Amino acid sequence: MAFYVSRLSLGLELRRLGCKTMRCSGVDCRSSSSTSTTLAPRSLADDGKTDKLGRREKKNLMMSESVDKPDLNLRFKYPEMFPEPFMIWRNPVKEKLERKDMLARRNCISIPEFYVGSVLRVNLSNIHQPDKVSSFVGICIERKETGLRASITLRNVIDNLGVEIKLELYDPRLLKIEVLRLERRLDPHLRYLRDAPPEYSTFPLDMKPDINRSDEVPLNRIKVKLNPRPWTENWHKIEYKGIDESIDDLITNKWKARRELLRKPWEKYDLMKTYRATLPEEEMEEILTEIKDDVEEHDRKHSRRQS
Amino acid sequence: MRLNKPTPLRPLIHYAELSKLVSRLKIPVHWHVKKLRRGDVPGPEGRLLKLRASVTALFKYERIEMDYYPADEARGYAERLISEAVRNGPQCPETMEMADWWLEEKQLVHKLFKVLVPRYQNYPTSYTNFYRAPFWYFSDGFQPQLNEEYPDKEINETIPAFRTVSYPKGLLELKGNPYPPIFPSKVTNPRSIQNVLLSSAKDFYKSKEGGSERLSNAESGRGIEFVPNEPKSDENLIESSK
Repeated sequence: MAFYVSRLSLGLELRRLGCKTMRCSGVDCRSSSSTSTTLAPRSLADDGKTDKLGRREKKNLMMSESVDKPDLNLRFKYPEMFPEPFMIWRNPVKEKLERKDMLARRNCISIPEFYVGSVLRVNLSNIHQPDKVSSFVGICIERKETGLRASITLRNVIDNLGVEIKLELYDPRLLKIEVLRLERRLDPHLRYLRDAPPEYSTFPLDMKPDINRSDEVPLNRIKVKLNPRPWTENWHKIEYKGIDESIDDLITNKWKARRELLRKPWEKYDLMKTYRATLPEEEMEEILTEIKDDVEEHDRKHSRRQS
Repeated sequence: MRLNKPTPLRPLIHYAELSKLVSRLKIPVHWHVKKLRRGDVPGPEGRLLKLRASVTALFKYERIEMDYYPADEARGYAERLISEAVRNGPQCPETMEMADWWLEEKQLVHKLFKVLVPRYQNYPTSYTNFYRAPFWYFSDGFQPQLNEEYPDKEINETIPAFRTVSYPKGLLELKGNPYPPIFPSKVTNPRSIQNVLLSSAKDFYKSKEGGSERLSNAESGRGIEFVPNEPKSDENLIESSK
């Protein structure tokens, strides 16, 4: 996938080039009036609104002109646009170019909103098929990586055999993605369906789309009962919300004792660990403002095509 | 403290944690998580407990002096705690839980939300200052230790600081603290003795007859100067006659 060098507008943030190992808001420190923003706590601010998550909206005291802030809830819709926040692997220029390429690809095909747990149908070009197209239906059990290498894993059980395909979202062979059932699950991934009975991941190949057009994406609170051991991974070590409590009957007492030792109750207090694993809100807003116009235009274009 | 070059480990998570929202810190954050010397409790838990003591002391005394690298680590946690408090306020249960855990004394939680949050509400910069501190102060009665391996006193005098290894020290403080500043501020203080004398001299010359002209000349030029009364020159006489 070639970079669109001709489209490289010189809006690249060159000031961030040097920040490979250190995450520092160098410009923010120096010029306080231009970029700095402040937040007002709930108790002290009189006026202000709360958004859907119950979080206080950001109040920009220093900047005189009002800037339209993007809706931060959109970050769940385009997770692959947000780079991996490990500082020494970051490359702002590469990220910016990849985002441009992703938007160019989204202009060609419709990549709809879906989550881990949604059921999808994908069409891939395949020269060995008589009609040059092979399609697959399955539940999305994992969404991995960011940028152009963003991939999904679809799982289905066909003829009593579990089948999974790993698919890159921005693969040029990909012809169409259709969402058959739009819903979320309790866990960030559903790899444990590999060790669950087949009825949890069986979907007919001629499944018809069943989507409730509403604002909120429904959350499926189903608890999966696992098969007895051996497993592909140690599912007892991490507390998955989507695994049934009957998992305790499947492991030995020795494993249970070991599980207690492996717990890390202090980890949630490690503020810098959370900071290093997340992108700051300011950076998310930058990315969302960057992609907002293109993405809205693509949505309009593809919805017109379908209708 | 190991100061070897750290090796980067590829993180297990290959995507950003999107469910959490944090403010950007105004201090440089290094990707490398520095190891601390072992305390009573081993492992990452003990590390956090050691840092908690430092953060509590920082919030209590507002200026602390300790080893450089632990102080650098504690600085990040203090900044994060304040930014969470400024961002969410005391109504947020998660922020309150964090404050309860990180500040061991109950009154410091009150201090965080009632004193520090109003103080730092409109700060465009970071909330802490961090300096390198000297290893030892001679004013504290520092004397080089004698080395037991060289009991001969003459040799010891020739190598005074041998084996008295000190780890680098750092000085960490909250901004806006009540203590006098570490470095003198570059902003001119109107209450300093020199400026008070100069301003009174200015008033004195203003009150004097004919002093106002000379004063205005002086102000437009280099500043206020002491100019004694002189006989008027020829040019001045001509100007005044016109």
